[in-house]
Amino acid sequence: MRAWKVVALLNLALVVGVGWGYVFWGLKVARLDRELALARAVASSGVEREWVVAGVVRAILPELDVLVITHGEITGLMAPMTMGFRTASPKIHEGISIGDEVRFTLRGVPPNVAVTAIEKTK
Amino acid sequence: MYALGLAARWLHLASAILLVGAATMIVLAGRSDRPTARRWEHRVLAGSRGLALMALGSGLAVLAVQTALFEGRAGAALEAGAIARVLIETQAGCVWLVRFGLLVILAALLWSRLSVERALDWRAARGQAVLLGAAALVPIAAAGHAAAVEPATARAVALDGLHVIGAGVWVGGLLPLALLLWAAADERGADARPYAVLAARRFSRVALGVVLVLVATGTLLAIANVGNVAGLVGTAYGRLLLAKLGLVLAALALAAVNRAVHLGRLAGDGPTVGRPAMRRLATFVAGEGLIALAILAIVATMSVTPPARHEAPAWPFAIRLSFRALEGAPAALVRVLVGSQVAVLGLVGLAAGLALRGRRLPLVAGALVVLGAGVGLALPPLAIDAYPTTYRRPSVPYQAASIASGAALYREQCASCHGLGGAGDGPAGVRLPRPPADLRAPHTALHTAGDLFWWLSNGIPAAGMPAFGRELSEEQRWDLVNFLRALSSGYAARGMGPTIEPDRPWLVAPDFTFAVGPTPPRSLREYRERRIVLLVLYDLARARARLAEIAGRDGTLALLGVEVIAVPVHDARDAIKRIGREPRVLFSVATEGSEAIAAAYRVFATAPHVEFLIDRQGYIRAVARGNGGAGDLDKTIAEIQRLNDEKAPPPAPEEHVH
Repeated sequence: MRAWKVVALLNLALVVGVGWGYVFWGLKVARLDRELALARAVASSGVEREWVVAGVVRAILPELDVLVITHGEITGLMAPMTMGFRTASPKIHEGISIGDEVRFTLRGVPPNVAVTAIEKTK
Repeated sequence: MYALGLAARWLHLASAILLVGAATMIVLAGRSDRPTARRWEHRVLAGSRGLALMALGSGLAVLAVQTALFEGRAGAALEAGAIARVLIETQAGCVWLVRFGLLVILAALLWSRLSVERALDWRAARGQAVLLGAAALVPIAAAGHAAAVEPATARAVALDGLHVIGAGVWVGGLLPLALLLWAAADERGADARPYAVLAARRFSRVALGVVLVLVATGTLLAIANVGNVAGLVGTAYGRLLLAKLGLVLAALALAAVNRAVHLGRLAGDGPTVGRPAMRRLATFVAGEGLIALAILAIVATMSVTPPARHEAPAWPFAIRLSFRALEGAPAALVRVLVGSQVAVLGLVGLAAGLALRGRRLPLVAGALVVLGAGVGLALPPLAIDAYPTTYRRPSVPYQAASIASGAALYREQCASCHGLGGAGDGPAGVRLPRPPADLRAPHTALHTAGDLFWWLSNGIPAAGMPAFGRELSEEQRWDLVNFLRALSSGYAARGMGPTIEPDRPWLVAPDFTFAVGPTPPRSLREYRERRIVLLVLYDLARARARLAEIAGRDGTLALLGVEVIAVPVHDARDAIKRIGREPRVLFSVATEGSEAIAAAYRVFATAPHVEFLIDRQGYIRAVARGNGGAGDLDKTIAEIQRLNDEKAPPPAPEEHVH
């Protein structure tokens, strides 16, 4: 075979090889991304979830059944911040006062969550 | 192991570069039917085959050594499994994989017995060798120091890629060219002489452009990897670079002689003029090529030496030059200005002398004298004492915790002479040979952090300042340096009030870390570029009214992009409990980290209640001193709005003092 043909074929093979690899991996990564996003959406929508979070009580609003708590990260729900949470029953914040460091249980179908239990950690 | 790895790297780099150069030189010289030219081409091709094998073999050796380094044991160098892991799982491994693949294809192309009798086939085969050689060489950039440059990694890798390809064309082309010239200079090589002259001219033209590219990319890469003069003269990497530059200059000087003198003489015909000139040119070109191989040996060493930017430079001279020396010295300033003008005059004269043909020697000599006089006039006033640690960067960042420990150390070790406030008025300082320095004075800024570190470590014997190098750990000495920086900038900030100076940030807010209850710790730095921070140092006994005032406007402040961080100066652990139900405070109250923050920020302002307004770039812009009573929050809000109105935000300060 003539040299220029060999060279042309070689370059074609290189280009096709690189392109095929890119398309193959690219498609695979895109599919995995889609599946991951789907799995995340399924995991977090319409399903009741529960978190146990550490925080410090900043305010108690019994008339609204709300506790304002400065908390750490709540995985998949919210970043660390100071936030008011509904309590599942008025009994829950009995015995809790401002400045208490607590560990509380948050339960519900996001974004509709409420504090179902709370205990002082110190 | 180190020497073996180095030798393998050098062999690999040299063979990969020579492969590119040989292929390029053949293409540049072009196809010829002259027997001598053909013999040369075959010899270069045969050499290329050997080079391809050598590149593959030495590449495997480098990979084996790298594997041993990655795995941390020498035995891994010979384990196929470990090598495969490195190949697949690391970026450097992927680069090797690609390069090995391309080298194998190139070797196959070189060994294949394709017929290249026709012009098209010749061009395709020889061009492909250039392409494959370059493609196998360039990815080196993605596995070297350039890939670790932060930020602008892609730019550094692209520059490095250009640099190695340029090196391939220039450095790699020299030896094949020398071979051609030798062959043509031979008595029996007369048939290829016009061909060789043409090839040399073409190479010379291409090389000129390539050298310009090499200089430009090399300069930019040096800036990225070395950064400053201290890195250049004070680190192993910098000195290697200087050695490389020296050799490069030698090679360039040879190249200039070749281009200006020898290349022109080739035109003369016959055995009396042409052949001796050609042989001389061949010898010079080969010399250039050998220097280039030595340069590659230095480059191989540099590739296994940490870049200067990541090393602590040891300044080798007793002085350094700085414009800071001119602050407050108008006479010196005039001298420097005049000197610089005289020097420029000398430079102009030098350029004129080089450009003119007649009377070049006296003009150049005169210009050099003028230049020397200008430099001699301008530089001495700029000299400041320097020490080996002058350009060391603090290993401890400028943070509240470090400043606080520095402040404690200062009270224990330094205050007796330098005074509690740093004014140099301590009781024990009176008996010293020289009065202790006023540490608050602006001249503290004249010295680098490394200068202060040196004095702390080694003392100043003439002044009676003791050395603390044994008593205090390195970290403690940096803590003191950080405290001294805070002290002098705090002194400069004593006039800073509750109103901001628009667009004029200068007081760096030391970073700090705090936590609210059991939540994860946060740092001031996390608010950079995002929020303005109102840092409130309060004493609850007197500040309840002010806290209530701020809490009442919580929503407004949040809307304006302000994060309020309240730091109690007493009883931090149960600070939130102590505030209690009223006022209803929902902003961050630091229950951890408050001691260090209070101690560090007290250096800037000592009132019972202080509020610092810190902009989004991390500068303290306003300081409100009070006693904790309710004031006029509207004024603070007006200042915040002025901060929000600032157009172009200035760059964020560095994390370390200088």
